[in-house]
Amino acid sequence: MADLLFKAQQLCFHDKICFADLEIPIGKTTFVTGPSGAGKSTLLRLLNGVLSPTHGQLFYLGRNLEDFDTIELRKEVLLVSQSVFLFDGSIRDNFAAFYEHREKSLPSDEKIKKFLSICCLPFETDAITNTMSGGEKQRLYLAIFLSFHPAVLMLDEPTSALDSETANRVMGNIISYCREEGITVIAVSHDKALTEKFSENILALERVENNYA
Amino acid sequence: MREVVELGIIQFSAVYLLLIVVLAIMKHAKINQTKLLIVASFRMTIQLILAGLVLTYIFDNQNPLFTTLYLLAMIGFTIKRTLGKSPGLNKQFRIIVAGSIAFSGLSTLAFFVVGIVGQNLFNPQYAIPIAGMIMGNTMTGVTLALKSFSDSLKSQRAKIDSLLNLGATPQKILLPYVNNALETALLPTLNSMVGMGIVSLPGMMTGQILSGTLPMTAIMYQIAIMIVICTTVCLSSFSSLHFGYQTLINSRNQIKLIGEE
Repeated sequence: MADLLFKAQQLCFHDKICFADLEIPIGKTTFVTGPSGAGKSTLLRLLNGVLSPTHGQLFYLGRNLEDFDTIELRKEVLLVSQSVFLFDGSIRDNFAAFYEHREKSLPSDEKIKKFLSICCLPFETDAITNTMSGGEKQRLYLAIFLSFHPAVLMLDEPTSALDSETANRVMGNIISYCREEGITVIAVSHDKALTEKFSENILALERVENNYA
Repeated sequence: MREVVELGIIQFSAVYLLLIVVLAIMKHAKINQTKLLIVASFRMTIQLILAGLVLTYIFDNQNPLFTTLYLLAMIGFTIKRTLGKSPGLNKQFRIIVAGSIAFSGLSTLAFFVVGIVGQNLFNPQYAIPIAGMIMGNTMTGVTLALKSFSDSLKSQRAKIDSLLNLGATPQKILLPYVNNALETALLPTLNSMVGMGIVSLPGMMTGQILSGTLPMTAIMYQIAIMIVICTTVCLSSFSSLHFGYQTLINSRNQIKLIGEE
């Protein structure tokens, strides 16, 4: 039990999406796969407490997820969602705005650039985000979230706007950084090559009929 | 004092002739709203005649009960129309909006009628028309506040989700939208105050002057009522939004946007 990060039993959300019982280990890069509609994104949002299951139980580090303060949980189990959102202004402005929402002080330019380089984004911190391409925005979004140094980093289609070469480099960098720092990565990806290359554990979701009600 | 000219029925009916001009222009410009124009004119006529009859009765038979009933009906209609124009609010939010409108409207009405004019709150000659002006503007203000709040939340789903995932508190995420919506609700009232006297001679003042009141008295009434309206719009929008937005947040710090199941 101790080496389990998450464990779910008879989990359902709104009786539309149900999951077979599942386990996610600590310290291994887990890729969540499955057809669309299987509830991959929903699962991630259940894991960080942005949604609550309507049926079944969910355990984080052996404790019922219900017992955690959701704000603290979300800071620890950080979800980088599929839809990228950036504020207007420069890269630094964006770090500042996200850090302000977490009530933390802005990291140094040096530190910001370190995370930009992990995400293969060779920009100065005063570069304006409005004119960036979709792929650049996605990498900046990843860099900002990664810089918060969570215990668990959940990535929902993190490379959907990237070409396969960049996707490979970015994922490789992020995963090796997380491995060094002891951050467990859980990723949802449609990219089979990426999944094969980087996963240490695969969680294949299927559409499950609601048998629990 | 100058006397007001009483309108005779025949003379009065002549005003409807102007609608022919509107109809002609609509026809020329191919605006398919002739039916609405006729219905609107007809409804306005019937509704105002009924209001006139009721007011005549209430003025002739002064009774606090009648005034109270009339005020309650006004507030009730204001709440009903405001909620009707703001679909998707949850039950608690609706109760908060209703309470905010009733409380802000009644308290500023009492302040004006009792505190400024120095009349009994149940004096229909003051309470009813003033309440009418307050409620009309409150409806516009609160509707605008709720619409602007709900629209901006909908268009900012990605931002709200991102910040929620980041671990920001829902209060911190939603509060800027609350404040923006309040600003939107206040702007029309503030703008009309800016243009008042130059761009427009407001209806209440015009009415009082027509009925023979000295312009300076009419102006003081107008200034007072504008400030009362501004206060009521501000109070009712503020409390609708500030207490209302918290009904979108549950104990698990999850946000359910307006109109979501």
